[in-house]
Amino acid sequence: MKLTRVDALIAAALWIGFTAILLRSVGSLGYARDEGFYFHAASQYGRWFEQLWTAPGAALERKAIDAAWATNHEHPGLIKSLFALSNLLLQKKLHLFAMEGTSYRFAAMVLGGGLIGLVYVWGTEARSRAAGLAAAITLGAMPRLFFQAHMACFDVPIVALWTLCAYTFWKALRTQGWLWPLLVGLTFGLALDTKHNSWFLPIVAGAHTAGTLIVARWLGPEGRKAAAVELRRAAAALLAMAAIGPVVFVALWPWIWHDTLARLREYAGFHLNHDYYNMEYFGVTYWKPPMPRTYAFVMTAATVPGVTLLLFAAGLLGRARLRIGEGVRLLLEPLSKGGRAFFVPSLGGRSPFRGGGAPPGGAESAAERTPSSTLFVRRAARLLRTARAESEPALEPSAAAAAVSSEPAASIGDRLLAFAVRWIGAPRTGSAAARRGPTAGTELLWLLSIGAIYAAWLSPKTPIFGGTKHWMTAYPFLALFAGVGFDDAVRAARAQAIRWRRRAPGLARHAKGTALAAVLGVVALASPVVQTARSHPWGLSSYTPLVGGAAGAATLGLNRTFWGYTTGSVTAYLNQAPPGTPVFLHDTLPASWDMLQADGRVRRDLRATMSIDASNAALYHHEQHMAGVEHQTWIAYETCRPDHIAGLDGVPVIWVYKRPGK
Amino acid sequence: MKPGRALLLAVPFAGLLELGLHGFFATRPPALGDWAQIREPVLTFADASAPVIVAPRWAEPMARQALGDERMPLAHVARADTSRFTMAVELSILGERAPELEGWTEEARETHGKFTLRRLRNPHARPVVTDFVERARPPFAEVWTSQPREACKWNEHARTMSGGLGGNPTFPARRFECPSGVFFHVGETVIADESFVARRCLWSHPPKEGEIVTHFRDVALGETIEGHGGLYWVLERELRGAPIVVTVRVNGDEIGKAQHDDGQGWAPFTFPLGAHAKAAHADVEIGVSSPNYMHRHFCFEATSR
Repeated sequence: MKLTRVDALIAAALWIGFTAILLRSVGSLGYARDEGFYFHAASQYGRWFEQLWTAPGAALERKAIDAAWATNHEHPGLIKSLFALSNLLLQKKLHLFAMEGTSYRFAAMVLGGGLIGLVYVWGTEARSRAAGLAAAITLGAMPRLFFQAHMACFDVPIVALWTLCAYTFWKALRTQGWLWPLLVGLTFGLALDTKHNSWFLPIVAGAHTAGTLIVARWLGPEGRKAAAVELRRAAAALLAMAAIGPVVFVALWPWIWHDTLARLREYAGFHLNHDYYNMEYFGVTYWKPPMPRTYAFVMTAATVPGVTLLLFAAGLLGRARLRIGEGVRLLLEPLSKGGRAFFVPSLGGRSPFRGGGAPPGGAESAAERTPSSTLFVRRAARLLRTARAESEPALEPSAAAAAVSSEPAASIGDRLLAFAVRWIGAPRTGSAAARRGPTAGTELLWLLSIGAIYAAWLSPKTPIFGGTKHWMTAYPFLALFAGVGFDDAVRAARAQAIRWRRRAPGLARHAKGTALAAVLGVVALASPVVQTARSHPWGLSSYTPLVGGAAGAATLGLNRTFWGYTTGSVTAYLNQAPPGTPVFLHDTLPASWDMLQADGRVRRDLRATMSIDASNAALYHHEQHMAGVEHQTWIAYETCRPDHIAGLDGVPVIWVYKRPGK
Repeated sequence: MKPGRALLLAVPFAGLLELGLHGFFATRPPALGDWAQIREPVLTFADASAPVIVAPRWAEPMARQALGDERMPLAHVARADTSRFTMAVELSILGERAPELEGWTEEARETHGKFTLRRLRNPHARPVVTDFVERARPPFAEVWTSQPREACKWNEHARTMSGGLGGNPTFPARRFECPSGVFFHVGETVIADESFVARRCLWSHPPKEGEIVTHFRDVALGETIEGHGGLYWVLERELRGAPIVVTVRVNGDEIGKAQHDDGQGWAPFTFPLGAHAKAAHADVEIGVSSPNYMHRHFCFEATSR
């Protein structure tokens, strides 16, 4: 669908609205371990930016660059630079935020909001406004993504930039000129400078181009001509990725301005040989390979709302049905050579055969005449004929009877094939479903973006720490398919309402307007929205009803929390401690604690310590492998009674011990 | 309606079903604040010697908070196993059952809101005659290292020392301290086993040479000396350490020797007492040694039954 000004307004509203929701809810969220590192790095970079402004010559000397940018150089500089600039300009100069930490987080929140707006735009452009809106809402209403979108981390920024780069690539394939290819190069560079997940982007773009090439071999002359245009555009986009991406990457990360190759090697080596951390999965803490290969898939099912996954499945299966039908048509078309063509635009959407009759000699004989035909193809052709004949017995009783009588007892393989054939329906060209979009190329790009990310978790050597955040880059594409599934459902509802116009005239009257879509939208999306709202600020503890919610997940032995951010949920309790109380932080990074104090959320006289023995209050963030730390507190404090417990839906996530008598 | 269309139309409505299920699962467990209400029923339900075992295990922190150390002492919470108890109270929510109480006989049951209490009798209980962890203090015990023989002095006010994640279990405030360094002592602590379950035990790091010996005086014996030994799992799972040998002697006679290899986890041992069975007064020595003492954070519990 062609975008209009209304779509631009809706996208902007989604961007601003989602950012505003994040800003409104951020105050109750503590600071994750990684944020502590990035606050420190951003403050170092911030000082360098100030120097760059006041004394650019000195700032650009290697000594100054290395002094500032050596901090946290295992990750590129772009997003931390945005954190720093946001803090410098919006907080230190303009005092926009109530809390210091929010000024760092703001940059990532804006990117998170932009992601939601972008998904709307893509979904609308590829399919319809309903699809775009549903995609945007299902993405924003994923509890884990909503949680991550608050963080001063790179995980949602890389989701945003990956999606943006994929979108520019998609536009480059559909548009003439150099603007979009240039944007592909630019956004790829920005993604490279955000997180190493971006290394998969050229694989996706390359695989998409290869896929186009392969399909082009099957297409007729017209199709091949169109594919050639697309291939030229893809080549331009890939060239831009190769040429512009690295330049942007280097330009925006001062750390690699010197000793470039050595430092790049170090950067790549860090991520290619990453340490294995502990992660609980079905009651077992995995800490070294082999890692469970089901992890990413099960955790996706356990944390993404079920209706979102069902809409995704509906969207994907709907398109698969269409494309498989087209594929069957392409595969069987050669059989018609030498005889009359028998695959033509459908009659009433049901019969694939011209005039409702079989080709002379039947598909089998056509297959026999074709040297390249396979047994499978012959069988598929026969079954297609049978299925069609069975579905229209009134039209062709003789054909159906002939088909059935000629069949020996059907094998399981034949039955499965027959089922598949019935599901695919009649292979046909130019159907309304195909015209509605997305195009096959779009679907391939979305699928590859999902597949490339999840494929990494098929290796038992891929670390599973970090929970769902490491494959979150696939979620926008999952949401886009969900949007298509939702639009299919709306269309099906409209068709049914019209069919029932005599029984329910009121329903039929509203079928064509937006009311039906709005009602279905509320029905479908209330659950993800409510689950996401209720998960806050316990995002990493939230699980969907598929595993019984937070309690079910705890019983199953799925990870309860990590990163030590839930200290933000016990600040009211800690602020009642006697003056000067030393607090054992457990999994909270001291820099994250410092930010809670800078925000005014924790009293400044409370002293952070990483020693249980030196503390009078001890935090415990529950992770299975950290249980030993809790046990250490029992002996140090001579009590196993927690004084305060906080958590989600009756499940304890963080608890606090108080030294008796203190 | 065509089945395909019906299925497609059902998808958005699955959202309503999911919303209902979300509400159900979110409110099914008792709220964290509701656990206080179970305190009085538990206190009157069974004798305090019966451990309170919580099902599911993840709900135990709330029970510990509500019932306190008096009703859920360390010896119960970090139990070696349940075989010593004749009676237990299962405090359950969500219809869960404690696997370790499987096969026990239910004697009473009460329901209090979302909580279920069951008083259970252990049909195979093997009561403890002597708990060596309880007796690891003067005047019942003394500790020394054997090569060279050096006494480890009892300290009532030692500095506790916690190792943090992957480090040593907390060295307790009351312990026998050996001259060779802070890691060489005997004292009651807790380790996390291979399932990260708490196990109360006596820290007994082997010395470089010989054994660290805990000598128990004037002990009443049953028919066996049995126990468990292991290391904090985060250390043991690395499988990098030397074997550890536990030797038990009664009145100077060696009655058994068990070897602990990394990876065994919280591993049991049982030694029949033979001629020393049912002695009313005996001297028992438990020695721990290793051919390579590096990172051998061994901890054991032992009883006579």
